[in-house]
Amino acid sequence: MKSFHLLVLASDKVFYDGKCVMAILPAQDGQIGIMANHGDIVAAVEVGQIRIQKEDESWTHAVIGRGVMQFINNRMTVLTEFAELPEEIDEKRALAAKERAQEQLRQKQSLQEYHQSKAALARAIARLKEKGGI
Amino acid sequence: MATAREIQMRMKSIRDTMKITNAMYMISSSKLKKAKKNLEQTQPYFDGLQNTIRRMLRHMPQMEHPFFETEERKAKPDKKRGYIVITADKGLAGAYNHNVTKLAESCLSQGDNNLIFVVGELGREYFSRQQIPIDTNFRYTVQDPTLSRSRDIAARVIELYQAGSLDEIYVIYTQTVNSMTVEAKALRLLPLEKENFRTEILADVYAEDIHMIPSPQNVLDNVVPDYVTGFIYGALVESFCSEQNARMMAMQAATDSAQKMLHSLQITYNRVRQGAITQEITEVIAGAKAQKKKKRRLEKL
Repeated sequence: MKSFHLLVLASDKVFYDGKCVMAILPAQDGQIGIMANHGDIVAAVEVGQIRIQKEDESWTHAVIGRGVMQFINNRMTVLTEFAELPEEIDEKRALAAKERAQEQLRQKQSLQEYHQSKAALARAIARLKEKGGI
Repeated sequence: MATAREIQMRMKSIRDTMKITNAMYMISSSKLKKAKKNLEQTQPYFDGLQNTIRRMLRHMPQMEHPFFETEERKAKPDKKRGYIVITADKGLAGAYNHNVTKLAESCLSQGDNNLIFVVGELGREYFSRQQIPIDTNFRYTVQDPTLSRSRDIAARVIELYQAGSLDEIYVIYTQTVNSMTVEAKALRLLPLEKENFRTEILADVYAEDIHMIPSPQNVLDNVVPDYVTGFIYGALVESFCSEQNARMMAMQAATDSAQKMLHSLQITYNRVRQGAITQEITEVIAGAKAQKKKKRRLEKL
């Protein structure tokens, strides 16, 4: 199968830099899968799971945060807040974050705080999902 | 002239102070190294963000978004300006804080509608002493800049910007020009100036037709806050590095002058000690002479 170059840049590290056959990631209105020779697109990325199929057909799963992806001239770049492999996820911390966010959502908050709590909840749930906790 | 004991006490106190300045020098240099390393790790991400905005603008120069400057906004009289002023938490860093506050004051004199967000304890104290109103809910330290802190700061100012309470947002920070000089700078964060992202558009090159999902607006909604966050983070780290740099230089100068003082005090001390010895000998000799004279007079009688 034809492959293309994928670069995943998290805010604190280069998460993935290499060839891949297919990449599936969460866009704002559902998941999108990209294969080689896809049309040029730029898309907003939401918190969720990214799946990367490498050239040897093996799959890598990871959690990524909000960001943006671009696929131009058979090169794909994903810019995201964070990217973590399942083994890097701290399940206890994610669970604590989830509970904290839910607790905060029950209280009266400003609009900004509400959005922050919502985003924190989404991150925690995505991490837990990846870990198989939910 | 001071006595030898007094000079020795003074030398001891200088030596103790020198120990402190020397330690502070070392602490600053290690903090500087750490902050620089963190900045390097995030650099590719922010370069990527900048390139994305640039590319989008190249393909859609007419694109409109609240984050970009418009003619209408430009012409608006009596603009409400927000300033993020980054100072240090502590002094003892030469003219570092002074430069920032001076620049901030000259910026503030541009208009009457200002809102200041101060990062750093020293700046907060300074502005409240000058009776300049600051956002009191905005309490962040400048120690060990982290990405999450810059995200909080960015979220706060973007919220105000989107609500229309602020028309322009500036950041006042310090940049390291080279290892010897630091420079205070004021830069506009929002609205973004399209000119800053413009690149040469080559006429012959085929421009790809990029499909934006779900819409260019949504993509920009995702990119720009992160870009602002990145910018604030960069400014925080730059300022932190400059602060440590300024402190290193101040402490180096203090250690040097302490050494100079010790040297001159040592000379004074030697002179005083020698003087005391000479005086004592003179006294002993004079005493012995007097005794001798007394003895001789007694013998004569």
